[in-house]
Amino acid sequence: MKSSSIITRMLRHEWLPLLLMAIAAIIVLALISNSFLSTYNLFVMLRILSVTSLVALSQMVVIAIGQMNLAVGAIGGLVAILFGAMLEIYGVPIPAAIVAAVSIGLLCGALNGLLIAWTKINGFIITLAMLSVFTGLTYGITKSIPFYNMPQALKAAYDSYLGPVPTILFIPVLAALGVGFILNWTRIGRHMLAMGGNPAAAELAGISTTRTMIFTHMLSGGLAGIAGVVAVARLGTAEPSIGADWLLASFAAPVIGGAALAGGHVSVVGTMIAVVLVILLENGLLLARTNPFYVQFFLGALILLAVLFNQWRVQQAEARRASSRAVLT
Amino acid sequence: MRAASKGDFLLRLAHAGGLLLVIIILIFGASLLVPNFLSPFNQFTLSRNLGVDIVIGFGMMAVLGLGHMNLALGAIGACAAMAVGFGLQTLGLPIPVAIAGAIAVGAMLGSLNGILVVRTGLDSFIITLATASLYFGLMFILTKAEAFRELPVAFSALGKGRIGSYSTFLLIAAVVGAILIVIFYFSELGRQILATGANRTAAELSGVPVNKVTIITHALSGAIAAIAGVMVTARLAAALPSIGEDWLLPSFLAPLLGGTLLAGGYVSVVGTALGAILLSVLQNTLVLLNVSGFWIQFFLGLALLIAVGLDRWRVVQTQKRGMLGR
Repeated sequence: MKSSSIITRMLRHEWLPLLLMAIAAIIVLALISNSFLSTYNLFVMLRILSVTSLVALSQMVVIAIGQMNLAVGAIGGLVAILFGAMLEIYGVPIPAAIVAAVSIGLLCGALNGLLIAWTKINGFIITLAMLSVFTGLTYGITKSIPFYNMPQALKAAYDSYLGPVPTILFIPVLAALGVGFILNWTRIGRHMLAMGGNPAAAELAGISTTRTMIFTHMLSGGLAGIAGVVAVARLGTAEPSIGADWLLASFAAPVIGGAALAGGHVSVVGTMIAVVLVILLENGLLLARTNPFYVQFFLGALILLAVLFNQWRVQQAEARRASSRAVLT
Repeated sequence: MRAASKGDFLLRLAHAGGLLLVIIILIFGASLLVPNFLSPFNQFTLSRNLGVDIVIGFGMMAVLGLGHMNLALGAIGACAAMAVGFGLQTLGLPIPVAIAGAIAVGAMLGSLNGILVVRTGLDSFIITLATASLYFGLMFILTKAEAFRELPVAFSALGKGRIGSYSTFLLIAAVVGAILIVIFYFSELGRQILATGANRTAAELSGVPVNKVTIITHALSGAIAAIAGVMVTARLAAALPSIGEDWLLPSFLAPLLGGTLLAGGYVSVVGTALGAILLSVLQNTLVLLNVSGFWIQFFLGLALLIAVGLDRWRVVQTQKRGMLGR
């Protein structure tokens, strides 16, 4: 076991190379641009992180059970405008509106899960249809007109500080801790990963895959709902277009973070670092004053490179295991 | 073997028949209840949109046969649209050459998808999600998001062509459909695609060159997406970078409504066309009924849910009856 050089040890922790990449990117950006480490720019990135991290986690939990939720953005959008309507039209107090909004997210997720369970149709098709249903509802209700008059208190809470720390830093941290806790330390979390790894075996081991699946979709809907609420607080308006561009980011971060699309394996830490990496990429291109269209191109390239790297890493690990087995026999 | 394929054919016919019945009822109801439905103007608009929707559905259907997806369909359509615009406006190429060039671009981008899927062994979903972003980004960078609006009149006339009161786009869709029928039901390649989709390992063991087949199928999907992109360009009389952005839902709706399986191994060309007809007629009827455009997406989603739900129910019923019979 002398051969466990730094590189092979690093490869075992799938998120370590990502972390190194993120640190390298931060150093390069700090050297290239004076404004990168400015308080203003850091706050701009933190604002993006507050929404994107929730979007990524919302998709990640569904990937864990080997399914997809194409409706993450649509749920976020629907929750966002209903949240806005509650605040503007019905004058609901902010905490009550947040609770109601997140409940709507949970409900939307439950609906996805129940439909998949009842019809036994592929989750991809169901959530594709629900993407259309939820988005249609959002635009039908608002007629594409945003709710502009959000209470000042909402914006103030979003921009507030707890001591020296911006409050919005707690959103991704708490969400990641929560999801990490569920996946690693609760029974339902273990059931989720078991189901993702092998649904038939999980069923034989006495796990109710139906219940696990519905719970997972509720969790995903709830996280998407929180993302919708945070997006409203960030923008200061409840726009029906919220969530329309979440699809790519929602898959990019978990996949770059090492999640297997087949299910059974996800990494909360990897996903969060991947979100940071994507934001750094966007921010770097912005600071370098490149054409904004480059962002999409490089994001696509980053996803491809990351999945290729993950693939290579897995192959290396398998080759090592095979060779050590060969030595033993 | 012969009996199995005959039963398969009957099942296919039954499915298409059910869908056809729904379409006939819908068209009959629409022509009775909706005043302008049968007007020549509406017939032309409807058939022109329908032609594009059918071709988009075919583009997805091709890779579904393999059990793959192509989320880059819209991005390839956009690239092809901009390529034909560039060829006609900037290079001043003759129209057939520009169209052929655009289709070649589509086939190339599609084959790149296929090569990436084969080389990495990764899910086509994630590969094409990434390349969709890559292709859109590349197209934006190259064109600086500027539309080509000074296209030759003869080219935009393609979008105005009529046969009776129907658009010539239906003819294009029919030709593409006929080619796909030949490929999927009467050629070695089609059998190999479906065999790979049904069971990749078994196909490989029985000598199907699965990698080559995968790349060719993705190239085919790209080429069909390019045809759809060129059609939309002719309809708009301009090559816009936003073409293809809203293709995701219709591209899946048409083949899935038509009975093509997501799991691969089975496609229905006629079913996909019928699925697109259902989609277009439903959309058109809702517009004519003054249903706000904002609600239409809601109803399309509902339609997809109901259609796949009914299909599932039909399969369950068939299985039950089969078991009773035994």
